[in-house]
Amino acid sequence: MMDMIDKKRGMRLRNRVRLKRRIWAARNLYLMFFPVLVYYALFRYAPMGGLMIAFKDFNAFLGFEKSPWVGFKFFNQFFNSIYLWRLVRNTLLINLYDLLFNFPASIILALLLNEVPNKRFKKAAQTITYLPYFISSVVIASMVVQFLSPSSGIVNHFIAALGGERQYFMTQPGSFRTIYTVMNLWKNIGWNSIIFLAAISGINGELYEACMIDGGGYLRRMWHITLPGIASTIVVLIIMRLGHVMDAGYETILLLQNNANLETSDVIGTYVYRRGLRGGEYSYATAVGMFQSVIGFTMVIMANYLSRRYSETSLW
Amino acid sequence: MHTSLPQKTLSAAPKRKKWTKGDYAVFIILTLTALLILMPFYNAVVISLETNRAYALHPVSLYPAEFSLKNYQYLIDKGQLSIGFQNTILITISGTVLSMAASVMMAYAFSRKFPGKKLLFLLMMFTMFFSGGMIPTYLQMKALKLIDSRWGIILFVGVSTYNIVILKSGFEQTPVDLEDAAKIDGANDLVIFFRVMLPLQGPLLATFTLFTAVAYWNEWFWSMLLINSSGKMTLQTVLRSIVAEAAAAADVSTGEADLDVFSQGVKMAAVMMAMVPIMCFYPFLQKYFVKGVMVGSVKM
Repeated sequence: MMDMIDKKRGMRLRNRVRLKRRIWAARNLYLMFFPVLVYYALFRYAPMGGLMIAFKDFNAFLGFEKSPWVGFKFFNQFFNSIYLWRLVRNTLLINLYDLLFNFPASIILALLLNEVPNKRFKKAAQTITYLPYFISSVVIASMVVQFLSPSSGIVNHFIAALGGERQYFMTQPGSFRTIYTVMNLWKNIGWNSIIFLAAISGINGELYEACMIDGGGYLRRMWHITLPGIASTIVVLIIMRLGHVMDAGYETILLLQNNANLETSDVIGTYVYRRGLRGGEYSYATAVGMFQSVIGFTMVIMANYLSRRYSETSLW
Repeated sequence: MHTSLPQKTLSAAPKRKKWTKGDYAVFIILTLTALLILMPFYNAVVISLETNRAYALHPVSLYPAEFSLKNYQYLIDKGQLSIGFQNTILITISGTVLSMAASVMMAYAFSRKFPGKKLLFLLMMFTMFFSGGMIPTYLQMKALKLIDSRWGIILFVGVSTYNIVILKSGFEQTPVDLEDAAKIDGANDLVIFFRVMLPLQGPLLATFTLFTAVAYWNEWFWSMLLINSSGKMTLQTVLRSIVAEAAAAADVSTGEADLDVFSQGVKMAAVMMAMVPIMCFYPFLQKYFVKGVMVGSVKM
């Protein structure tokens, strides 16, 4: 009996010594780590702790500690407001439009690029279609506004030339989603096609040769070989996108937003900015932001689970 | 020569000599797509090179009816943009260097074994999916005295967890033999890191350097939130104020003498100036980033 206890203690001791030795052996690695570790603590985890002000009535003079607790007051305020439905609807629809129109468009672009017989032309087409992805949102928003200007924009120029009436696109709530979706199509179509091109390049070339020998043309090759070959990539990407339907990039939206189109252009991010940082309602805006973070987190976890079940691809 | 080489391109389609009808259809569709994508840029260039009078007569034209550089001249004389350029260049260069150095070190450390790795990796991954959000981040910036500081922008953009994860798997896939061989040759950890490990990650490093630099260059929202004094404003915030200040712009086009300068022209000239650096670097880096993105998507 005593023997065993001694043995156990000895093993624990040995393990501890071994652990110390392993830590010492990895000291250079810890040193490499250190700056980023501090960074993550200060800029990623400290703000998570700051989420507690969603449950407090934050007052800058009292500070984090002394501001009084109010429980779910601000969450209830948001759930009972007209904004909940409006913001969720706008966010979901913007993402749905993107999935319905822009996602297939990038697949089609990849299929087309794959069929280009001339290498140089292919490269030029890729260079041009990827370009808008690297342009800043301020530049893009400025060009959108100029493009759609009622008096001098190119779009209204054509509408007027065809005998139509000039439209104030930026101030019509009914136009916002279309504008935003087309803008994103323009910006992302090339970039999003890269991943499909990568998937296509993984398809066995012999399949194409067999199809050619059988006399299969473009469309048959596309339908029977290329599309099935990238089907799993498509499914995984759709699942991942569904995981992100509650996120909408608010930066560009904010740049295109005005009081007239708020009805359709307001998303959670822009609302949090307006109420929190412009209006100073820190606690309320934090609660609204937290609502989005929690739902987004849950949905991404679910999407990842689905993706792992369906294919072997998952984020972790 | 190119016929004998095995197909190394992304194209899975076999090569053919004569163009078929389908080839022409693909060619035409892609050409039209490319033209549509370039059109807004071209439209902006034309407006920026126009004079006010010509623009008032024909707001939409294929080429500037009266070519003039007055809009650019006006912007340069005003000096606002050059302050923006200075600050943004400073932030982009120092931010990219710091961010890449930190990411590479973190990714390399994560590709080796050490006690506590699993927990730390999980903690890092978690930040990809959950964050404190806008208001708590802003308050934290305030608590750290980073308001109205260029460091605030450098640190806010900071390191990207996604990049670290991809780089980590890049390092993991380097053969252990290489490291062992270097060790036998008497190389120490640092030499191995800089001479053996890093060069092997060339395309990935080029890609992420480009992404990081572009992120710094394009950052608008947080520089708008953090920076108050006009001397520290970044390019994108200056650009935004030029574009958004309708009143100031109206003053330009109705103002005293210079009829060649007009608000839309000035706006588009500013837009072009903010874009030019990216347009200049982009074609050279393109071959790297496509490779890097492919590697990244495979490694995920």
